[in-house]
Amino acid sequence: MIALPRPSTLFLAAVTALVAVLLYSPLFVPIVSSFFTISHGDVDWSSPTLSSYQALAGNNDILAALRTTLIVGLCTVVLSVVSGTLLALYYHGGRSGRSILQFIIFLPFLMPPIISGLALLIFFREIGLERSLLTVVIGHTVFVLAIVYRTVLMRLQSMSRTLVEASYDLGATAWQTFWRVILPNLSSAMVGGAILAFALSFDETMITILVTGTQSTLPVRLWAMMRLGFSPDINALVALILMFTVLLCVLAARFLVPQQMAMERS
Amino acid sequence: MSLLAAVLAFALPVVFVVVPLALFLVYSFFSVDQGTIVYAPTLGNYVRFVTDSIFVPVFWNTIVLCVSVAIICILIAYPAAYLLTTLKGRWRYALLMLLLVPLLMSYVIKIYAIRSILGLNGFLNKALVALGILQQPSTLFVFNMNAILLTLSVLLIPFAILPIFLSLERIPQTLLRASDDLGASGLQTFLRVTLPLSLPGVVSAASFVFVLAIGDFLTPQMVGGVSGFTFGRILYSQFGTAYNWPFGAALSVALAVVVICAILIGERFGRNRGTSV
Repeated sequence: MIALPRPSTLFLAAVTALVAVLLYSPLFVPIVSSFFTISHGDVDWSSPTLSSYQALAGNNDILAALRTTLIVGLCTVVLSVVSGTLLALYYHGGRSGRSILQFIIFLPFLMPPIISGLALLIFFREIGLERSLLTVVIGHTVFVLAIVYRTVLMRLQSMSRTLVEASYDLGATAWQTFWRVILPNLSSAMVGGAILAFALSFDETMITILVTGTQSTLPVRLWAMMRLGFSPDINALVALILMFTVLLCVLAARFLVPQQMAMERS
Repeated sequence: MSLLAAVLAFALPVVFVVVPLALFLVYSFFSVDQGTIVYAPTLGNYVRFVTDSIFVPVFWNTIVLCVSVAIICILIAYPAAYLLTTLKGRWRYALLMLLLVPLLMSYVIKIYAIRSILGLNGFLNKALVALGILQQPSTLFVFNMNAILLTLSVLLIPFAILPIFLSLERIPQTLLRASDDLGASGLQTFLRVTLPLSLPGVVSAASFVFVLAIGDFLTPQMVGGVSGFTFGRILYSQFGTAYNWPFGAALSVALAVVVICAILIGERFGRNRGTSV
């Protein structure tokens, strides 16, 4: 871009600063509240405390919800990475009906979650499947599948065909080529997709509210608690989750970005 | 072998995506009689949606609300995205990451935090009073349509930044230099070259933000109060208190139609055409 005159640069910087404030202030509220007591909107800066973190350690309700969220997240990751990778391989193989299949995979991601969730709710009811963690995992997998699928497919499409051809020329069977050549090349995309899938599952609220049984995941638990307002230990949890999420972002960036940059350079 | 592969590939997506959505569509033609669902086809739900004096106005107001959210997001996101493209190398992507990271933070928590910022004792009121803009704290910003508008805008800004940034980044430097060489001022170059070439990104951004805003139930439910009644909330209530699943399904179909239109518009006009010089 050509350098603009000064006033416009200032304007751009001011708006960008505003965007940063708008985006980050909702994140700072719980973090600040986790260390300081707040009454009637005033922060008492004089006495930082870790008491909310201690309270969190004793809040079995929330810890159970956290455990449920992690279980659901891990199941979702396994299911979506396996099926997403297989579906990407199917598409990449130029098989029949692949564009329709791709459209179906993207549908739940494009539709508002309230529609995907309600559709699944009715579906589970009609086939007589009791609402439980299983239905939550199915809902999450359907939702995040598109992301894993797309991440793996992009890697497949950027992979050089010569690698596979070389493998065949050297006498490898189709299986050997898959395990020794294709899969290792896909692994970092699969890990990146898995992290994204986990992050989405971890935060998924709408579909979960609709298809969950008696056990609730963390966002659903928080959603239910919101009517009453949060206790300080929730802020501690939120602060911890934010740190954890930042860590996930950094990891996802490590697995996904270097390859893309390398691709752009080549 | 290839038939088997096709059956396996299609099995799960068809069972868990196509069948539920199709069933949902079918449900919208059923009706409810005294708490039980009557499995006989009827257009009654759609007739009720169109003729009842409640639903169409709420539907329309929600669409207007979400278009406003999209406009606000674009007006704020465009300058930020533009600033990003003026940065060099590493800084550009670092700042982009910084503006996208809040997306991955808990949605429910963000809504809660924004609500407390907008509230009567919230930071926004405190700041406005301190600046002398307001005489006393106002309830203008919470539990009404304004609150939904502001909260959704804040939540969805990153979705507007990314597509606009991508389309700005794709504009060839040579075009801008040519414009400069031909004697255009910075403003002229922006208005005549940069802005038109970035419009596809703006349309994609608008489509993204609109679709996410209109499909959202959590935000209006949490910050909308009694007066901020959106279509998503009416829809949800059909599955809760009103207990009329078929009617709720019909409302969802109406919502889906709007969403599909928005996505198609985004696809049709949002493609970056003619910029790959």
